[in-house]
Amino acid sequence: MQALDCAIIGAGPAGMTAAIELSKGGAKVAVLDRGTRAGGQIYRAAAASPLPNTSALGPDYQAGAELIAAFERTDLTHFASSDAWHLGDDGRVLFSHLGETHELHCREMLLCPGAMERPMPIPGWTLPGVMTAGAAQVMLKSDATVAEGAVFAGSGPLLYLIVAQYLRLGVPVTALVDTTPRQNYLNAAPLLPRALRQAGQLKKGIALLREIRSAGIPQYRFAENLEVLGQNKAKGLRFTSGGQIREIAAETIFLHHGVQPNLNMTRAMDLAHRWNPQQLCWQVETDAFGQTSIQHISAAGDGAGIIGADGARIAGRLAALNILHRLGRLSEADRNRQATPGIAKLAAMAPFRAFIDRLYHPANALRLPQNPDTLVCRCEEQTLADLREGFNQGARDPNALKSLTRCGMGPCQGRQCGHMVTGLLSQWRAEPTEAVGYYRLRSPQRLLTLDELSRFQAVPAPTHAEAAE
Amino acid sequence: MFRSLRSDGAPKVTLTINGQEVTAAAGQSVWSAMALTGQSVTRRAALSGENRSAYCAMGVCFECMVIIDGLPNQQACLHRVAEGMTVTTQNITQDCEAENAGP
Ligand SMILES: Cc1cc2nc3c(=O)[nH]c(=O)nc-3n(C[C@H](O)[C@@H](O)[C@H](O)COP(=O)(O)OP(=O)(O)OC[C@H]3O[C@@H](n4cnc5c(N)ncnc54)[C@H](O)[C@@H]3O)c2cc1C
Ligand code: FES
Repeated sequence: MQALDCAIIGAGPAGMTAAIELSKGGAKVAVLDRGTRAGGQIYRAAAASPLPNTSALGPDYQAGAELIAAFERTDLTHFASSDAWHLGDDGRVLFSHLGETHELHCREMLLCPGAMERPMPIPGWTLPGVMTAGAAQVMLKSDATVAEGAVFAGSGPLLYLIVAQYLRLGVPVTALVDTTPRQNYLNAAPLLPRALRQAGQLKKGIALLREIRSAGIPQYRFAENLEVLGQNKAKGLRFTSGGQIREIAAETIFLHHGVQPNLNMTRAMDLAHRWNPQQLCWQVETDAFGQTSIQHISAAGDGAGIIGADGARIAGRLAALNILHRLGRLSEADRNRQATPGIAKLAAMAPFRAFIDRLYHPANALRLPQNPDTLVCRCEEQTLADLREGFNQGARDPNALKSLTRCGMGPCQGRQCGHMVTGLLSQWRAEPTEAVGYYRLRSPQRLLTLDELSRFQAVPAPTHAEAAE
Repeated sequence: MFRSLRSDGAPKVTLTINGQEVTAAAGQSVWSAMALTGQSVTRRAALSGENRSAYCAMGVCFECMVIIDGLPNQQACLHRVAEGMTVTTQNITQDCEAENAGP
């Protein structure tokens, strides 16, 4: 039987671009994504929008439809609605599809799981009615569902983008509470001249802010001490801005302060990771082609370090070129020649990314809980005080704290609390993040029912002859 | 207040959310069907019993776990509505776990 050359996890801009390139190079490819359609976060439902008109979502979104169409025309196997929950360094992939477990084998694996939003553990963040700004995006793109009269709070391009999208669609917005610290503007200023080389991106950002300003919704800047009001559900947001305490009533509060790589897949595979101090998150270590510490496993896109959708496309293509080389389908010289423009483009994009990272550097007071009663672990209901107690009892690292307090043991498997726990321990130990580390993760990467495991199907498509052992 | 911007005329399915019969656009997520009918409590926290609701809408927080057709721990934001589906708020608190575990 013939082997599947490469399995790609994630059909966002990185995964789709890689799949097209690999298939063009003659490789047999399968792409898995838990979404019903390809697209990933940015291009979610771009090829089949439930909205009467997608122009309000902007040209970047509409450009996604072309990539999705090209992906769908490509000769490959796309497993949609397929959630990968075990990836082995032996090339084995287990995934759930419609309540059944499936298995496939591949020679090369490319991980493109994308990003998730950085948790924002302000008091009251677990109340119904508090969601992320990305959630507002997801609901808008895939379900044409919007929340009227919401307050948007936080910082960063994705926050401003969704506010602008709401306003273009005529959805009333109660306020934009901007938490970007004053100091960030000063810190970012020295990086501006180099960022200006990507003047187009900068103009886009400024136009977005101007658009929001001219819409005339209440805007508050340099907001601090955020707190969601309400007992059983959100009733409003309290914060300080301009030296005053303010309270704004709202049933829905959308929070956002940046994104971080989806870590669980790369962590569960025990790949080497490093702390990114600019983006304040862990990311898998790769070379320029996305190759990780295990040679036949590569990673690309925001799941391997935040570079944005355009960067993700380039990184996906670079990873594909290298995989083609590893499969013996492309000489090293040809790989390098074809990769040169992409590598140069990524390097040209870096100064703008550095500027944005510094400007929207998340405030520690929003990234780490400040109030002893605030929940850190939403699943197991562990508060800041509970974790501190665990630390005082001697739990010095994330795994010890997990066994002592159950923090990180719930269904989200640390996706929400992981970075907070690293940050808190680093503070308490007065040691760098790298010394603290992260949770040790294992498969399965999601909740599974026994019933589902019992319905097991090996994907009949090309199995990996060598992996049969 | 959640509202749909979908143009009318999209095919509909009928499902039951906490005993209430509702119609929802085919293909839409269970979570947004819940949100649009004002039933936004997805689960109760196991220890405190506090109300919880969808937070991320993209599958990474597990706050939206509901019971779908009798199966617990189903993420409402990742599941699509289907004709005849039954959705209930997940109420597995420690108390009732203890009860269930009884003789
Ligand atoms: C909620 C949200 C909304 C965003 N919206 C925008 C936007 O409007 N504009 C913008 O410029 N940037 C946006 N971003 C930033 C985003 O990260 C983009 O830069 C871009 O989508 C990254 O592309 P990617 O291919 O790396 O990953 P993604 O586009 O995130 O694609 C990753 C894919 O992997 C799939 N996946 C992950 N884990 C598994 C698994 N275990 N099994 C199966 N499939 C899996 C996901 O379903 C997803 O489709 C958003 C980010 C988030 C989190
Ligand atoms: S809302 Fe976060 S997992 Fe469904």
